[in-house]
Amino acid sequence: MTKGDKILIVAIIIISLVSLGFVKNNIVNYNEKYISIQVNGQEYKKVIFDNSVIGKTIPIETEFGYNLIEIGDGDVRVIEASCPDKLDVLQGAISSPGEMIVCLPNRLVIEIKGTTETREIDYISY
Amino acid sequence: MKRINKIIFLSLLVSIGLALSVLESSIPLPIVIPGARLGLSNMVILVTLVIFGLKEAMVVSILKSVVLVLITGSVSSLMYSLSGGILSGIVMYIAYKYFSKIFSLIGVSILGAVGHNIAQVSTAVYIMSNLRIYSYLPILLITSLFTGYFVGLSSIFISKNLKKGLSHIFNA
Repeated sequence: MTKGDKILIVAIIIISLVSLGFVKNNIVNYNEKYISIQVNGQEYKKVIFDNSVIGKTIPIETEFGYNLIEIGDGDVRVIEASCPDKLDVLQGAISSPGEMIVCLPNRLVIEIKGTTETREIDYISY
Repeated sequence: MKRINKIIFLSLLVSIGLALSVLESSIPLPIVIPGARLGLSNMVILVTLVIFGLKEAMVVSILKSVVLVLITGSVSSLMYSLSGGILSGIVMYIAYKYFSKIFSLIGVSILGAVGHNIAQVSTAVYIMSNLRIYSYLPILLITSLFTGYFVGLSSIFISKNLKKGLSHIFNA
């Protein structure tokens, strides 16, 4: 191991830690978060976190494969998948904006996104 | 070295790389990130690069990716492994050829692993057309440090012994 190797290792550690911090810092506090399910680059479904969706499961069946996702209290996870390695199932639940579950064989991306504006209230009655 | 010797030797290297790829897919990893692998077969590519050169390393790398699809049956992974293999091969060649005074094989192997990850994540970004997948890159880079270090360490021993043990073939 030469001196150049050590410099390279330290440089890569610094670069990745700085960019990791950048990624984490980029996530500001959002008023509301929603789940964006994308298949092959296109948005397949959009689910806004709500009391009514807790415990719901959404099957995703496309030409690329089958996944079953479950929505919990502010988090989402994949519980069944047709892909061979099942990495998306093993990854568990994600809850904060910017986090994502990726299933490469099925071209599936489940991403939690945030919106800065509050949802408009349709109607209030007293 | 005779042409037939070279062909046999390269095909042996391809089969070793295939065996290592199949083997490493059955080793569980402590972290769950798509694209994080041990990269044991990178050892074979690096040794080929040291003993033969860029052209032969590319042949071994591409053949290994194509035949691996026949074994595992996942065609979608072909794009990832091909892009990763080609970029890491070029990066390792440049590092080994022009910067071998600065880096030992460990540094070369780490650079190759980094190149492999960047190419794979870029391919995923292109296929899924979602730029946020790049947020996986920092974690992948840190894991590639560990795997790259051990792959480089093993490659030093392998290429040293291989050059010594096969000197009568190479000089023939």
